[in-house]
Amino acid sequence: MIEVVNLSKNFKRVTAVEQVNLYIEPGEIVGLLGPNGAGKSTTIAMLSTLISPTDGDVLLNHKSILKNPSELRGVLGVVPQEIALYEDLTAKENLQFFGSIQKMPKQLLAERIDIVLEQIGLQDEPKKLVKHYSGGMKRRLNIGVAMLHEPKYLIMDEPTVGIDPQSRNHILKTVKTLNENSNMAIIYTSHYMEEVEFLCNRIYIMDKGKIIASGTKEEIKAVLSSENTVHVKLEFHSKSFINDLMDQPMLSNINAKEAEITFTVAKGMDFLPMLLSLCEKNNVILKSFQVEEPTLEDVFLHLTGRALRN
Amino acid sequence: MFIALIKKQIKLLLRSPSEILTLFVMPIVLILILSYALGPLMEGDSEMTIIELAIIHHEDEEEQIQGFIDALPPNVVLDQKTSGNIENSLPVSMLVKELENNNEMKELIHVTQLDAKSLAEVKKSGDYDVVLEIPSNFTKEYLDAKFFDQEKPAFNVYLNESEQITSTIVKEIIDYFQQQYTLQSELSESGVIIDHTALSSQKIHSTIRSVDSLEEVPSSVYYTFSMTVMFMLFIAGTLASQSFIEKNTHIFDRILLARIHSSTYLLSIIVSSILFSLLQVFVLFTFSYFVFNISFANWELFLLLSILFSIVIGAIAALLSSINYRSNSAGASNLFSTAIVAILAFFGGSYFNISSLSPFIVNVGMLTPNGAALDGYLKIAQNGSLNDLLPNITVLSSLAFLLMLIAFLLFPKRGGIV
Ligand SMILES: Nc1ncnc2c1ncn2[C@@H]1O[C@H](COP(=O)(O)OP(=O)(O)O)[C@@H](O)[C@H]1O
Ligand SMILES: [Mg+2]
Repeated sequence: MIEVVNLSKNFKRVTAVEQVNLYIEPGEIVGLLGPNGAGKSTTIAMLSTLISPTDGDVLLNHKSILKNPSELRGVLGVVPQEIALYEDLTAKENLQFFGSIQKMPKQLLAERIDIVLEQIGLQDEPKKLVKHYSGGMKRRLNIGVAMLHEPKYLIMDEPTVGIDPQSRNHILKTVKTLNENSNMAIIYTSHYMEEVEFLCNRIYIMDKGKIIASGTKEEIKAVLSSENTVHVKLEFHSKSFINDLMDQPMLSNINAKEAEITFTVAKGMDFLPMLLSLCEKNNVILKSFQVEEPTLEDVFLHLTGRALRN
Repeated sequence: MFIALIKKQIKLLLRSPSEILTLFVMPIVLILILSYALGPLMEGDSEMTIIELAIIHHEDEEEQIQGFIDALPPNVVLDQKTSGNIENSLPVSMLVKELENNNEMKELIHVTQLDAKSLAEVKKSGDYDVVLEIPSNFTKEYLDAKFFDQEKPAFNVYLNESEQITSTIVKEIIDYFQQQYTLQSELSESGVIIDHTALSSQKIHSTIRSVDSLEEVPSSVYYTFSMTVMFMLFIAGTLASQSFIEKNTHIFDRILLARIHSSTYLLSIIVSSILFSLLQVFVLFTFSYFVFNISFANWELFLLLSILFSIVIGAIAALLSSINYRSNSAGASNLFSTAIVAILAFFGGSYFNISSLSPFIVNVGMLTPNGAALDGYLKIAQNGSLNDLLPNITVLSSLAFLLMLIAFLLFPKRGGIV
């Protein structure tokens, strides 16, 4: 088990991470969800021994590794947010290099390279220079390098940023299979809540350096158990209608994008008559409305008053 | 695993066309241009003409030897063999013999022996390209110096200023003294006369050296070495920039996570730089060997100096990498490649022979790694010995040690953001 305890990191002017606590047990997938600048990468960097914390501790099996990070490094695979690859080497050469410095035996390395190339779907073009790869292929190789030596814990920092949906799906599937078949524990960092929701058993939600919610998907959503989210579509945009909605005490988290409006409302509250009368009053036509179970996005909105993605 | 670090580095460099251009093509082009364009300027009239050499005697050699033998302390007895040796090793007669018996030399140099009275006239006439003036008591003083450790005599060399002297004669004179040097050691090893025999050629040697200024090597030789040392410097900048890319793209994080110590990583930069420097020297020297027929007869010394200078290049690469990592920018290596190399090249004499500027600049030049290396290569090309290289070796080893020390102290122990 890896734990971080009261972990903080101050840079010159910013407190990037403040009193963060989290843990991961062998075999589980844990999500770290938060908007850009929340402090996810900084947390990950401390957890993987690459920067030293200002305060707090990192434990492997209940033992601090701050003084001697070697043991933790031995069980980690890290997928950095950046493409950490040699552009002028081929996929195979990259794998070869990173495997060699892991001191993997030659025979095993050769076998693993073939397996990994297959897993990340690059088996057809292993001899192409990385610089000639698409963004998605680079991302996949970036992951492949980290899992080459079959680490117990795989830490992935926004592995799907800026790629096509196809590559993204491939990556998500790979991660899931990896966890199920090899029992690799995975910390998955993202600002896409649907990825985290799809992959993870347990989730930490982070904002402005702090963990603002944690637990299983259900536990976190229970924060909003008393609320439903309502999506309303109008025929056209109406400023006065929105203003009137905002004056309603029973609605909260009102969010309007042109003619599409969302808000949350307490469960069991009969808001329909109010909605219809406001339509009439403002002369707008209601195209559709939909009541939804809350998403992690809604939780985030509820906790911070802001949307997860900007 | 260390091998993997090196292999990767070399692969990356060889795959970068712009680096190949800077490290191999540009120096070759420059050596060609400079040798052909500036060559005639440097060497003067390159047409082969016979050199007229006059040797002016102020003494009778026989008399001088007799004087030396007479002045020997009574407890020293000379046998026949030793006297013979002495006569054979007299500097002036040896020079004359060497010049007159060597067929090649005969075509190049014509020797005339004259007595002291004609000196003024000879110097004025301009009939001779080189006038060698042997002062009175030269032979006796030379022998005294050799056997009794006394002040060594010098002789005067006058060059005809209206005619450019070619390097050949100077080289011949040096060869001659080299020969002297060996003969003397043989003589002293036989241990006949005195055990504290001093090697006396040094003083004379240095007198000659002043005539034999660095300009006297052919320009192709000069620029082969000067461009080589200059362009080797670029390796340091290139590898340091490359290593900063590894930090910037977080590849360095991966290397640390593979439990490779940061010092091991730094060492791999040094070793790659050394290997690459040696490759560069080899390519450029091979080029000059085939194109200009430059001789690398003293290859052991060339190799020694090349290895030493390559180690300094490795140390510079390490230092630049450390500063880059510390400052979290490629500023140090960029500044080095764009400005500092040019400054070092200037003081180190890569653009032109700086010895003509001022003694101060010459001293500064010797303290630059490339200046020390260039000077060393030229000495070897002029048949200098390991002894002559000692100052160069000292400068280069000290620089290597110092720069590496600072580099290892500066290099951050963790990755990511310090
Ligand atoms: N090296 C650094 N120096 C100063 N501030 C930093 C540094 N790294 C990150 N930060 C700041 O710390 C905060 C958290 O950043 P980061 O951990 O990268 O967030 P995330 O990965 O969640 O997007 C941001 O405000 C960022 O600007
Ligand atoms: Mg990040």
